[in-house]
Amino acid sequence: MFVYATVWGGLARQAGLSLGEIALMCLVVTAGASQFVAVPMIAAGAPPLAVIVTTYVVNMRHYLMAATLAPAFRGFPRGWLALVAHGVNDESFALTTARRDPAGPWFFIGSVVAVYGSFIVGALVGAVVGGLVRDPSRYGLDFAFPAVFLALVAVQLRGRGDWVVAGGAGLLALGIAWHLPGNWHIVIAGLAASGVGALVMRPESP
Amino acid sequence: MRPAVLLTILGMAVATYLTRAPLLLALSERPLRPRLRLWLRLVPLAVLPALAIPMVLLPGGRPLLTPANPQLWGALVVLGLTAARQNLLLSVAAGVAVVAILRQFGF
Repeated sequence: MFVYATVWGGLARQAGLSLGEIALMCLVVTAGASQFVAVPMIAAGAPPLAVIVTTYVVNMRHYLMAATLAPAFRGFPRGWLALVAHGVNDESFALTTARRDPAGPWFFIGSVVAVYGSFIVGALVGAVVGGLVRDPSRYGLDFAFPAVFLALVAVQLRGRGDWVVAGGAGLLALGIAWHLPGNWHIVIAGLAASGVGALVMRPESP
Repeated sequence: MRPAVLLTILGMAVATYLTRAPLLLALSERPLRPRLRLWLRLVPLAVLPALAIPMVLLPGGRPLLTPANPQLWGALVVLGLTAARQNLLLSVAAGVAVVAILRQFGF
């Protein structure tokens, strides 16, 4: 987690984000994958709305996690719960649901604090170090963005249907990006391919 | 802080919070319908290649579908290593190294 955040911080700094922008994004967004997605878009001067909509779509998986965690938080004051909600993240979710007992709210909150802290410190360390590297493309560092995306997909692919959805989305996006300027190919291809997949594939029993 | 970037970050924060808070605050005991769960699982699997493939094959908006594209080889290395259950960051580092080396040789 710390290393992942350090890599992000370094890449964000090289993409021209200031230390303040990097710290703010970690504090108020705190969603690793979407922050990786946003940095090259911001660097390329994408309009804010395109980045925001893409962020929303990348983070839609949180709905799944929040719905799974919700029953464990019965009886919590709603004000606190609204704060805890900001901490919903992949790592804490994985840790909490991997335990044999039903997901414990305090275990979850503890892991959120740990993840949040290491994410922000890691990103700032990376940002300071990243500011020292000149000419990142010489070291292939611009390629780190697509590399992270491909690795994140590859670890999640379970069956043949997943491969078809991922490959179809990539090819569709390639076709759209070839002919249309801007960044909308990401959201269009992402929603279209996942939507078709969800309609055609057989849902697993919960 | 640049105003457009500030606006972008705050918008990202709101958009992300909207994916986290509603279902946690709803405190529902009822699990999501299976097909909805499937879709939510598939969305990132579709969005990430939709981002990555054009970055690899259309660098700067121009098609580069040839073996002389260093990023193509980097992408194959990343996918191969991750599929072989290598550490995620290690796979990324190997892909970056392949791209850097090929660029050193003038590709």
